Amino acid sequence: MLNENMQREALTKCIVWFYDGNCRTFYSFDKTHKRANPNQALGIRRLEKMLMETFKGQWETAIIYENKPNSNELARFKRGARV
Amino acid sequence: MTTKDKPNNQRFHFDFGEVFSKTKSFIDAYNNRQTQLTQKLNANQRATAELMIRLYLKQLNKVAQLDTLDPDNLPGFNTYNESLAKCKGCTKRTIINHRERLVNAGFIAKEQHCGKGGVEIWLNPVVLGMAKLSTNYGDNVVKIGDVASLFYEKAKNFHPLVHEQQEQLNNNSKVDKSGTQISGVPYGHESGKATGTGHEQDKNTEENANPAPERQVKAPERQCKAEKQEQQAGAGRIFLLSLIRQFWDYTRKVLYPDLIISEPEEREILNLIWESVYGKFQWNATQKEWLKYQDTAFNRVNMVARWLARSPGHWIPKPHIYFHPNNKRNGFKKTWQWYVKQETLKIEIRNQLLLQQVKAEWQQHEQNKGRFREKTRLQLFRIQQKRLADYRDESLMQAYQQCLNSSLQLQKLKRKQPAHAQ
Repeated sequence: MLNENMQREALTKCIVWFYDGNCRTFYSFDKTHKRANPNQALGIRRLEKMLMETFKGQWETAIIYENKPNSNELARFKRGARV
Repeated sequence: MTTKDKPNNQRFHFDFGEVFSKTKSFIDAYNNRQTQLTQKLNANQRATAELMIRLYLKQLNKVAQLDTLDPDNLPGFNTYNESLAKCKGCTKRTIINHRERLVNAGFIAKEQHCGKGGVEIWLNPVVLGMAKLSTNYGDNVVKIGDVASLFYEKAKNFHPLVHEQQEQLNNNSKVDKSGTQISGVPYGHESGKATGTGHEQDKNTEENANPAPERQVKAPERQCKAEKQEQQAGAGRIFLLSLIRQFWDYTRKVLYPDLIISEPEEREILNLIWESVYGKFQWNATQKEWLKYQDTAFNRVNMVARWLARSPGHWIPKPHIYFHPNNKRNGFKKTWQWYVKQETLKIEIRNQLLLQQVKAEWQQHEQNKGRFREKTRLQLFRIQQKRLADYRDESLMQAYQQCLNSSLQLQKLKRKQPAHAQ
Protein backbone atom coordinates (compact mmCIF):
# COMPACT_ATOMS: atom_id res chain seq x y z
CA MET A 1 0.00 0.00 0.00
CA LEU A 2 1.36 3.40 -0.96
CA ASN A 3 1.76 6.04 1.70
CA GLU A 4 -0.42 9.14 1.70
CA ASN A 5 2.08 11.32 -0.05
CA MET A 6 2.47 8.84 -2.87
CA GLN A 7 -1.28 8.47 -3.11
CA ARG A 8 -1.54 12.23 -3.57
CA GLU A 9 1.15 12.22 -6.23
CA ALA A 10 -0.33 9.27 -8.16
CA LEU A 11 -1.71 10.22 -11.56
CA THR A 12 -4.37 7.51 -11.67
CA LYS A 13 -6.45 5.49 -9.27
CA CYS A 14 -8.36 2.27 -9.67
CA ILE A 15 -11.55 1.44 -7.85
CA VAL A 16 -12.19 -2.29 -7.67
CA TRP A 17 -15.43 -4.00 -6.71
CA PHE A 18 -14.69 -7.55 -5.55
CA TYR A 19 -17.00 -10.53 -5.75
CA ASP A 20 -17.00 -10.81 -1.95
CA GLY A 21 -18.67 -7.39 -1.73
CA ASN A 22 -15.58 -5.41 -0.81
CA CYS A 23 -14.57 -2.26 -2.66
CA ARG A 24 -11.06 -0.91 -2.63
CA THR A 25 -9.17 1.96 -4.21
CA PHE A 26 -5.66 1.44 -5.52
CA TYR A 27 -3.30 4.21 -6.55
CA SER A 28 -0.85 3.97 -9.40
CA PHE A 29 2.90 4.08 -9.09
CA ASP A 30 3.97 6.00 -12.17
CA LYS A 31 7.74 6.07 -11.96
CA THR A 32 10.39 3.66 -13.17
CA HIS A 33 12.82 4.94 -10.57
CA LYS A 34 12.85 7.49 -7.79
CA ARG A 35 13.77 10.52 -9.88
CA ALA A 36 12.08 9.52 -13.12
CA ASN A 37 9.40 11.64 -14.73
CA PRO A 38 5.98 10.23 -13.92
CA ASN A 39 4.49 8.24 -16.77
CA GLN A 40 0.72 7.97 -16.62
CA ALA A 41 0.56 5.19 -19.20
CA LEU A 42 2.98 3.12 -17.13
CA GLY A 43 0.78 3.57 -14.06
CA ILE A 44 -2.29 2.45 -15.99
CA ARG A 45 -0.47 -0.61 -17.30
CA ARG A 46 0.66 -1.53 -13.81
CA LEU A 47 -2.88 -1.24 -12.48
CA GLU A 48 -4.11 -3.39 -15.35
CA LYS A 49 -1.46 -5.98 -14.59
CA MET A 50 -2.52 -5.98 -10.96
CA LEU A 51 -6.13 -6.63 -11.96
CA MET A 52 -5.30 -9.31 -14.50
CA GLU A 53 -2.65 -11.17 -12.52
CA THR A 54 -2.62 -10.37 -8.81
CA PHE A 55 -6.40 -10.23 -8.31
CA LYS A 56 -7.30 -12.54 -11.18
CA GLY A 57 -10.81 -13.98 -10.76
CA GLN A 58 -11.52 -12.00 -7.59
CA TRP A 59 -13.19 -8.87 -8.91
CA GLU A 60 -16.29 -8.11 -10.86
CA THR A 61 -15.78 -4.50 -11.94
CA ALA A 62 -12.80 -2.18 -11.92
CA ILE A 63 -12.57 1.39 -13.15
CA ILE A 64 -9.45 3.48 -13.60
CA TYR A 65 -9.82 7.22 -13.11
CA GLU A 66 -7.48 10.18 -13.19
CA ASN A 67 -6.44 10.99 -9.64
CA LYS A 68 -8.10 14.40 -9.55
CA PRO A 69 -11.39 15.75 -8.24
CA ASN A 70 -14.16 15.36 -10.86
CA SER A 71 -11.79 13.28 -12.92
CA ASN A 72 -12.31 11.43 -16.17
CA GLU A 73 -12.69 7.72 -16.50
CA LEU A 74 -9.72 6.23 -18.35
CA ALA A 75 -10.45 2.50 -18.47
CA ARG A 76 -13.16 0.11 -17.40
CA PHE A 77 -12.89 -3.61 -16.75
CA LYS A 78 -15.69 -6.13 -16.33
CA ARG A 79 -15.30 -9.74 -15.27
CA GLY A 80 -11.70 -10.06 -16.28
CA ALA A 81 -11.79 -8.13 -19.53
CA ARG A 82 -11.31 -4.53 -20.59
CA VAL A 83 -14.42 -2.97 -22.06
CA MET B 1 -20.63 25.78 -33.83
CA THR B 2 -22.04 24.31 -36.98
CA THR B 3 -18.88 22.42 -37.85
CA LYS B 4 -19.99 19.45 -35.77
CA ASP B 5 -22.97 18.82 -37.98
CA LYS B 6 -20.97 18.72 -41.16
CA PRO B 7 -19.56 15.64 -42.80
CA ASN B 8 -15.86 15.12 -42.09
CA ASN B 9 -14.71 14.75 -45.66
CA GLN B 10 -15.31 18.43 -46.46
CA ARG B 11 -12.34 20.76 -46.08
CA PHE B 12 -12.25 23.52 -43.50
CA HIS B 13 -11.63 27.10 -44.21
CA PHE B 14 -11.07 29.65 -41.48
CA ASP B 15 -12.14 33.08 -42.53
CA PHE B 16 -9.66 35.61 -41.17
CA GLY B 17 -12.12 38.50 -40.96
CA GLU B 18 -14.71 36.59 -39.02
CA VAL B 19 -12.26 35.11 -36.54
CA PHE B 20 -10.72 38.53 -36.00
CA SER B 21 -14.08 40.10 -35.26
CA LYS B 22 -14.78 37.20 -32.92
CA THR B 23 -11.43 37.78 -31.20
CA LYS B 24 -12.19 41.43 -30.86
CA SER B 25 -15.61 40.86 -29.38
CA PHE B 26 -14.13 38.29 -26.99
CA ILE B 27 -11.50 40.71 -25.71
CA ASP B 28 -14.01 43.57 -25.56
CA ALA B 29 -16.37 41.43 -23.54
CA TYR B 30 -13.55 40.46 -21.19
CA ASN B 31 -12.49 44.08 -20.75
CA ASN B 32 -16.04 45.12 -20.05
CA ARG B 33 -16.30 42.55 -17.31
CA GLN B 34 -13.22 43.89 -15.54
CA THR B 35 -13.65 46.75 -13.13
CA GLN B 36 -10.00 47.58 -12.57
CA LEU B 37 -8.00 49.19 -15.30
CA THR B 38 -4.95 47.02 -14.62
CA GLN B 39 -6.90 43.85 -15.17
CA LYS B 40 -8.02 44.78 -18.66
CA LEU B 41 -6.17 43.68 -21.77
CA ASN B 42 -4.45 46.63 -23.36
CA ALA B 43 -3.91 47.25 -27.05
CA ASN B 44 -0.46 45.71 -26.92
CA GLN B 45 -1.79 42.44 -25.54
CA ARG B 46 -4.63 42.60 -28.02
CA ALA B 47 -2.08 42.92 -30.81
CA THR B 48 -0.24 39.83 -29.55
CA ALA B 49 -3.49 37.90 -29.49
CA GLU B 50 -4.26 38.96 -33.04
CA LEU B 51 -0.79 38.06 -34.23
CA MET B 52 -1.20 34.61 -32.74
CA ILE B 53 -4.61 34.25 -34.35
CA ARG B 54 -3.25 35.29 -37.73
CA LEU B 55 -0.39 32.81 -37.65
CA TYR B 56 -2.56 30.04 -36.27
CA LEU B 57 -5.20 30.47 -38.96
CA LYS B 58 -2.52 30.39 -41.63
CA GLN B 59 -1.23 27.12 -40.19
CA LEU B 60 -4.69 25.64 -39.95
CA ASN B 61 -5.73 26.66 -43.45
CA LYS B 62 -2.54 25.18 -44.84
CA VAL B 63 -3.05 21.95 -42.95
CA ALA B 64 -6.68 21.84 -44.03
CA GLN B 65 -5.48 21.76 -47.63
CA LEU B 66 -3.19 18.82 -46.95
CA ASP B 67 -5.32 16.82 -44.60
CA THR B 68 -8.83 16.66 -43.15
CA LEU B 69 -9.16 18.40 -39.81
CA ASP B 70 -11.19 17.14 -36.91
CA PRO B 71 -13.27 20.12 -35.72
CA ASP B 72 -13.51 18.76 -32.17
CA ASN B 73 -9.82 18.10 -31.92
CA LEU B 74 -7.99 20.87 -33.74
CA PRO B 75 -4.20 20.81 -33.54
CA GLY B 76 -2.66 23.42 -31.28
CA PHE B 77 -0.76 26.46 -32.46
CA ASN B 78 2.86 25.49 -32.39
CA THR B 79 5.14 28.43 -31.94
CA TYR B 80 8.24 29.81 -30.30
CA ASN B 81 8.43 32.82 -28.03
CA GLU B 82 11.43 34.11 -29.93
CA SER B 83 9.82 33.96 -33.34
CA LEU B 84 6.65 35.62 -32.03
CA ALA B 85 8.80 38.33 -30.48
CA LYS B 86 10.59 38.79 -33.80
CA CYS B 87 7.30 38.99 -35.66
CA LYS B 88 5.96 41.57 -33.28
CA GLY B 89 9.16 43.52 -32.79
CA CYS B 90 9.36 43.13 -29.03
CA THR B 91 11.30 41.06 -26.52
CA LYS B 92 10.73 37.43 -25.63
CA ARG B 93 9.79 38.39 -22.10
CA THR B 94 6.98 40.61 -23.40
CA ILE B 95 5.50 37.69 -25.31
CA ILE B 96 5.67 35.48 -22.21
CA ASN B 97 3.94 38.18 -20.15
CA HIS B 98 1.27 38.69 -22.77
CA ARG B 99 0.65 34.97 -23.01
CA GLU B 100 0.19 34.84 -19.27
CA ARG B 101 -2.36 37.64 -19.42
CA LEU B 102 -4.18 35.94 -22.26
CA VAL B 103 -4.33 32.68 -20.31
CA ASN B 104 -5.85 34.56 -17.37
CA ALA B 105 -8.35 36.17 -19.69
CA GLY B 106 -9.37 32.75 -21.02
CA PHE B 107 -8.30 33.61 -24.55
CA ILE B 108 -5.72 30.81 -24.43
CA ALA B 109 -7.40 27.65 -23.23
CA LYS B 110 -4.32 25.52 -22.74
CA GLU B 111 -0.56 25.75 -23.09
CA GLN B 112 1.97 23.00 -23.43
CA HIS B 113 5.68 23.63 -23.23
CA CYS B 114 7.64 21.29 -25.46
CA GLY B 115 11.17 22.37 -24.53
CA LYS B 116 13.12 22.79 -27.74
CA GLY B 117 9.92 22.24 -29.69
CA GLY B 118 8.56 25.58 -28.49
CA VAL B 119 5.10 26.08 -27.07
CA GLU B 120 1.84 24.55 -28.19
CA ILE B 121 -1.14 26.79 -27.60
CA TRP B 122 -4.81 25.90 -27.80
CA LEU B 123 -7.02 28.90 -28.20
CA ASN B 124 -10.46 29.28 -26.72
CA PRO B 125 -12.94 27.52 -29.04
CA VAL B 126 -15.27 30.53 -28.72
CA VAL B 127 -12.68 32.58 -30.58
CA LEU B 128 -12.34 29.93 -33.28
CA GLY B 129 -16.10 29.40 -33.30
CA MET B 130 -16.13 31.04 -36.70
CA ALA B 131 -14.57 27.92 -38.21
CA LYS B 132 -16.81 26.77 -40.97
CA LEU B 133 -16.81 24.89 -44.20
CA SER B 134 -15.85 26.76 -47.32
CA THR B 135 -18.99 25.54 -49.05
CA ASN B 136 -21.33 27.08 -46.50
CA TYR B 137 -20.87 30.78 -46.75
CA GLY B 138 -24.57 31.39 -46.88
CA ASP B 139 -25.33 29.38 -43.79
CA ASN B 140 -28.01 31.13 -41.80
CA VAL B 141 -27.28 29.15 -38.67
CA VAL B 142 -23.79 30.58 -38.50
CA LYS B 143 -25.05 34.12 -38.84
CA ILE B 144 -27.67 33.63 -36.18
CA GLY B 145 -25.05 32.08 -33.92
CA ASP B 146 -22.75 35.07 -34.36
CA VAL B 147 -25.45 37.57 -33.66
CA ALA B 148 -26.65 35.60 -30.66
CA SER B 149 -23.17 35.38 -29.17
CA LEU B 150 -22.58 39.09 -29.67
CA PHE B 151 -25.91 39.90 -28.16
CA TYR B 152 -25.25 37.62 -25.23
CA GLU B 153 -21.94 39.27 -24.47
CA LYS B 154 -23.45 42.70 -24.66
CA ALA B 155 -26.57 41.90 -22.71
CA LYS B 156 -24.47 40.39 -19.97
CA ASN B 157 -22.62 43.64 -19.38
CA PHE B 158 -25.58 45.96 -19.94
CA HIS B 159 -23.47 48.05 -22.20
CA PRO B 160 -25.09 50.54 -24.55
CA LEU B 161 -25.55 48.75 -27.84
CA VAL B 162 -25.04 51.82 -29.99
CA HIS B 163 -21.74 52.67 -28.38
CA GLU B 164 -20.56 49.13 -28.58
CA GLN B 165 -21.33 48.98 -32.26
CA GLN B 166 -19.40 52.13 -33.03
CA GLU B 167 -16.54 50.98 -30.90
CA GLN B 168 -16.35 47.80 -32.94
CA LEU B 169 -16.20 49.64 -36.20
CA ASN B 170 -13.63 52.19 -35.12
CA ASN B 171 -11.66 50.35 -32.54
CA ASN B 172 -8.25 51.70 -33.33
CA SER B 173 -9.00 54.44 -35.75
CA LYS B 174 -7.49 57.80 -34.84
CA VAL B 175 -9.50 59.80 -37.32
CA ASP B 176 -13.01 61.20 -37.10
CA LYS B 177 -13.38 60.84 -33.37
CA SER B 178 -16.78 62.17 -32.47
CA GLY B 179 -18.17 62.56 -28.99
CA THR B 180 -20.23 59.42 -29.20
CA GLN B 181 -17.24 57.35 -30.20
CA ILE B 182 -15.21 58.46 -27.22
CA SER B 183 -18.02 57.69 -24.87
CA GLY B 184 -18.56 54.33 -26.60
CA VAL B 185 -14.98 53.16 -26.18
CA PRO B 186 -14.75 51.03 -23.05
CA TYR B 187 -12.16 51.54 -20.32
CA GLY B 188 -9.81 48.98 -21.71
CA HIS B 189 -9.31 50.92 -24.87
CA GLU B 190 -8.67 54.11 -23.03
CA SER B 191 -5.90 52.35 -21.22
CA GLY B 192 -4.67 50.78 -24.41
CA LYS B 193 -4.43 54.17 -26.00
CA ALA B 194 -2.48 55.47 -23.08
CA THR B 195 0.00 52.64 -22.79
CA GLY B 196 0.08 51.10 -26.26
CA THR B 197 2.28 52.29 -29.08
CA GLY B 198 1.28 53.18 -32.60
CA HIS B 199 2.73 49.90 -33.75
CA GLU B 200 0.02 47.69 -32.30
CA GLN B 201 -2.68 50.07 -33.34
CA ASP B 202 -1.47 49.78 -36.89
CA LYS B 203 -1.63 46.03 -36.84
CA ASN B 204 -5.16 46.08 -35.58
CA THR B 205 -6.28 48.61 -38.11
CA GLU B 206 -4.83 46.51 -40.86
CA GLU B 207 -6.93 43.59 -39.83
CA ASN B 208 -10.06 45.64 -39.42
CA ALA B 209 -9.77 46.56 -43.08
CA ASN B 210 -10.04 50.26 -42.35
CA PRO B 211 -8.32 52.54 -44.84
CA ALA B 212 -4.76 52.36 -43.52
CA PRO B 213 -2.18 55.12 -43.71
CA GLU B 214 1.16 54.49 -45.39
CA ARG B 215 3.13 53.56 -42.28
CA GLN B 216 0.45 51.06 -41.34
CA VAL B 217 0.91 49.19 -44.59
CA LYS B 218 4.66 49.03 -44.09
CA ALA B 219 4.48 47.21 -40.77
CA PRO B 220 3.60 43.72 -42.08
CA GLU B 221 6.26 43.96 -44.80
CA ARG B 222 8.92 44.39 -42.18
CA GLN B 223 7.78 41.25 -40.40
CA CYS B 224 7.07 39.26 -43.48
CA LYS B 225 10.17 37.05 -43.40
CA ALA B 226 9.98 36.09 -39.77
CA GLU B 227 6.26 35.51 -40.11
CA LYS B 228 6.75 33.27 -43.10
CA GLN B 229 9.39 31.22 -41.34
CA GLU B 230 7.16 30.88 -38.33
CA GLN B 231 4.22 29.84 -40.47
CA GLN B 232 6.25 27.32 -42.46
CA ALA B 233 7.77 25.78 -39.35
CA GLY B 234 4.39 25.49 -37.67
CA ALA B 235 2.56 24.09 -40.68
CA GLY B 236 5.39 21.67 -41.37
CA ARG B 237 5.30 20.50 -37.82
CA ILE B 238 1.57 19.91 -37.90
CA PHE B 239 1.99 18.01 -41.16
CA LEU B 240 4.67 15.78 -39.64
CA LEU B 241 2.61 15.12 -36.55
CA SER B 242 -0.35 14.20 -38.74
CA LEU B 243 1.89 11.56 -40.34
CA ILE B 244 2.39 9.90 -36.96
CA ARG B 245 -1.32 10.01 -36.24
CA GLN B 246 -2.12 8.47 -39.66
CA PHE B 247 0.47 5.77 -39.18
CA TRP B 248 -0.88 4.84 -35.75
CA ASP B 249 -4.50 4.81 -36.99
CA TYR B 250 -3.54 2.50 -39.84
CA THR B 251 -1.41 0.23 -37.65
CA ARG B 252 -4.15 -0.01 -35.06
CA LYS B 253 -6.66 -0.98 -37.71
CA VAL B 254 -4.41 -3.59 -39.31
CA LEU B 255 -2.39 -5.04 -36.43
CA TYR B 256 -4.40 -4.28 -33.30
CA PRO B 257 -8.07 -4.30 -34.32
CA ASP B 258 -9.33 -5.35 -30.86
CA LEU B 259 -7.12 -3.09 -28.80
CA ILE B 260 -8.79 -0.81 -26.25
CA ILE B 261 -6.51 1.89 -24.87
CA SER B 262 -6.93 5.09 -22.94
CA GLU B 263 -5.77 8.51 -24.00
CA PRO B 264 -2.50 8.60 -22.00
CA GLU B 265 -1.54 5.20 -23.34
CA GLU B 266 -2.22 6.34 -26.90
CA ARG B 267 -0.16 9.46 -26.32
CA GLU B 268 2.74 7.33 -25.13
CA ILE B 269 2.49 5.09 -28.19
CA LEU B 270 2.48 8.13 -30.49
CA ASN B 271 5.63 9.37 -28.78
CA LEU B 272 7.28 6.00 -29.23
CA ILE B 273 6.34 5.93 -32.91
CA TRP B 274 7.72 9.43 -33.30
CA GLU B 275 11.01 8.21 -31.88
CA SER B 276 11.38 4.73 -33.33
CA VAL B 277 9.63 4.93 -36.71
CA TYR B 278 10.25 8.56 -37.67
CA GLY B 279 13.58 9.08 -35.84
CA LYS B 280 12.27 12.19 -34.06
CA PHE B 281 11.98 13.87 -37.47
CA GLN B 282 15.68 14.60 -37.47
CA TRP B 283 15.90 13.78 -41.17
CA ASN B 284 15.70 17.07 -43.04
CA ALA B 285 13.38 15.99 -45.81
CA THR B 286 10.70 17.65 -47.86
CA GLN B 287 7.02 16.87 -47.44
CA LYS B 288 7.13 14.76 -50.59
CA GLU B 289 9.96 12.66 -49.19
CA TRP B 290 8.13 12.22 -45.93
CA LEU B 291 5.05 11.06 -47.80
CA LYS B 292 7.19 8.54 -49.64
CA TYR B 293 8.61 7.34 -46.36
CA GLN B 294 5.08 7.09 -45.01
CA ASP B 295 4.25 4.70 -47.85
CA THR B 296 7.21 2.52 -46.96
CA ALA B 297 6.07 2.53 -43.33
CA PHE B 298 2.58 1.41 -44.41
CA ASN B 299 4.21 -1.29 -46.54
CA ARG B 300 6.11 -2.51 -43.52
CA VAL B 301 2.88 -2.70 -41.53
CA ASN B 302 1.31 -4.71 -44.35
CA MET B 303 4.28 -7.05 -44.33
CA VAL B 304 3.80 -7.64 -40.60
CA ALA B 305 0.08 -8.26 -41.15
CA ARG B 306 0.89 -10.86 -43.84
CA TRP B 307 3.46 -12.47 -41.57
CA LEU B 308 0.91 -12.71 -38.76
CA ALA B 309 -1.68 -14.22 -41.07
CA ARG B 310 0.80 -16.82 -42.30
CA SER B 311 0.90 -18.80 -39.07
CA PRO B 312 -1.03 -18.85 -35.77
CA GLY B 313 2.29 -19.17 -33.96
CA HIS B 314 3.34 -15.70 -35.13
CA TRP B 315 2.65 -12.85 -32.71
CA ILE B 316 3.71 -9.32 -31.98
CA PRO B 317 3.94 -7.67 -28.54
CA LYS B 318 1.70 -4.87 -27.29
CA PRO B 319 2.21 -1.53 -29.08
CA HIS B 320 4.13 0.17 -26.26
CA ILE B 321 6.71 -2.64 -26.48
CA TYR B 322 6.49 -3.16 -30.22
CA PHE B 323 7.28 0.47 -31.01
CA HIS B 324 9.79 0.96 -28.23
CA PRO B 325 13.05 2.32 -29.69
CA ASN B 326 15.15 0.03 -27.47
CA ASN B 327 13.32 -3.13 -28.44
CA LYS B 328 15.81 -4.94 -30.64
CA ARG B 329 14.33 -8.38 -30.18
CA ASN B 330 10.83 -8.18 -31.56
CA GLY B 331 10.28 -4.52 -32.36
CA PHE B 332 8.91 -2.82 -35.43
CA LYS B 333 12.43 -1.62 -36.29
CA LYS B 334 13.29 -5.10 -37.52
CA THR B 335 10.78 -4.81 -40.34
CA TRP B 336 13.09 -2.31 -42.00
CA GLN B 337 15.45 -5.23 -42.77
CA TRP B 338 12.51 -7.19 -44.17
CA TYR B 339 11.54 -4.25 -46.31
CA VAL B 340 15.07 -3.75 -47.66
CA LYS B 341 15.32 -7.46 -48.43
CA GLN B 342 11.98 -7.44 -50.22
CA GLU B 343 12.82 -4.38 -52.28
CA THR B 344 16.25 -5.78 -53.22
CA LEU B 345 14.64 -9.00 -54.32
CA LYS B 346 12.12 -7.09 -56.41
CA ILE B 347 14.90 -5.14 -58.11
CA GLU B 348 16.89 -8.32 -58.77
CA ILE B 349 13.89 -9.99 -60.38
CA ARG B 350 13.19 -6.91 -62.47
CA ASN B 351 16.82 -6.83 -63.62
CA GLN B 352 16.77 -10.49 -64.53
CA LEU B 353 13.63 -10.03 -66.60
CA LEU B 354 15.14 -7.06 -68.39
CA LEU B 355 18.33 -8.97 -69.19
CA GLN B 356 16.33 -11.91 -70.46
CA GLN B 357 14.47 -9.54 -72.74
CA VAL B 358 17.77 -8.07 -73.96
CA LYS B 359 19.18 -11.51 -74.69
CA ALA B 360 16.07 -12.52 -76.57
CA GLU B 361 16.28 -9.35 -78.67
CA TRP B 362 19.90 -10.09 -79.61
CA GLN B 363 19.07 -13.66 -80.56
CA GLN B 364 16.14 -12.52 -82.68
CA HIS B 365 18.32 -9.88 -84.28
CA GLU B 366 20.89 -12.57 -85.21
CA GLN B 367 18.17 -14.56 -86.88
CA ASN B 368 16.74 -11.47 -88.64
CA LYS B 369 13.55 -11.70 -86.63
CA GLY B 370 11.72 -9.50 -84.17
CA ARG B 371 10.83 -5.84 -84.27
CA PHE B 372 14.48 -4.68 -84.39
CA ARG B 373 15.49 -6.82 -87.38
CA GLU B 374 15.91 -3.77 -89.61
CA LYS B 375 18.16 -1.96 -87.12
CA THR B 376 21.93 -2.25 -87.14
CA ARG B 377 23.73 -3.82 -84.21
CA LEU B 378 24.85 -0.39 -83.01
CA GLN B 379 21.32 0.97 -83.19
CA LEU B 380 20.01 -1.98 -81.22
CA PHE B 381 22.73 -1.46 -78.64
CA ARG B 382 21.82 2.23 -78.31
CA ILE B 383 18.11 1.47 -77.95
CA GLN B 384 18.75 -1.08 -75.25
CA GLN B 385 21.24 1.12 -73.46
CA LYS B 386 18.77 4.01 -73.41
CA ARG B 387 15.99 1.80 -72.15
CA LEU B 388 18.08 0.36 -69.33
CA ALA B 389 19.57 3.73 -68.41
CA ASP B 390 16.08 4.93 -67.54
CA TYR B 391 16.12 2.66 -64.49
CA ARG B 392 19.22 4.46 -63.16
CA ASP B 393 20.66 1.27 -61.77
CA GLU B 394 24.40 0.84 -62.06
CA SER B 395 24.33 -2.85 -61.26
CA LEU B 396 21.86 -3.34 -64.08
CA MET B 397 24.16 -1.58 -66.54
CA GLN B 398 27.12 -3.67 -65.41
CA ALA B 399 25.09 -6.84 -65.79
CA TYR B 400 24.05 -5.65 -69.24
CA GLN B 401 27.69 -5.14 -70.26
CA GLN B 402 28.63 -8.58 -68.97
CA CYS B 403 25.69 -10.04 -70.82
CA LEU B 404 26.79 -8.30 -74.03
CA ASN B 405 30.38 -9.49 -73.65
CA SER B 406 29.36 -13.07 -73.07
CA SER B 407 26.97 -13.06 -76.00
CA LEU B 408 29.65 -11.53 -78.27
CA GLN B 409 32.18 -14.15 -77.15
CA LEU B 410 29.65 -16.86 -77.81
CA GLN B 411 29.13 -15.52 -81.28
CA LYS B 412 32.90 -15.48 -81.89
CA LEU B 413 33.19 -19.05 -80.70
CA LYS B 414 30.33 -20.08 -82.93
CA ARG B 415 32.07 -18.52 -85.90
CA LYS B 416 35.38 -20.21 -85.06
CA GLN B 417 33.88 -23.66 -84.62
CA PRO B 418 32.69 -24.04 -88.22
CA ALA B 419 36.11 -22.78 -89.41
CA HIS B 420 37.91 -25.48 -87.39
CA ALA B 421 35.52 -28.11 -88.64
CA GLN B 422 36.40 -27.26 -92.24
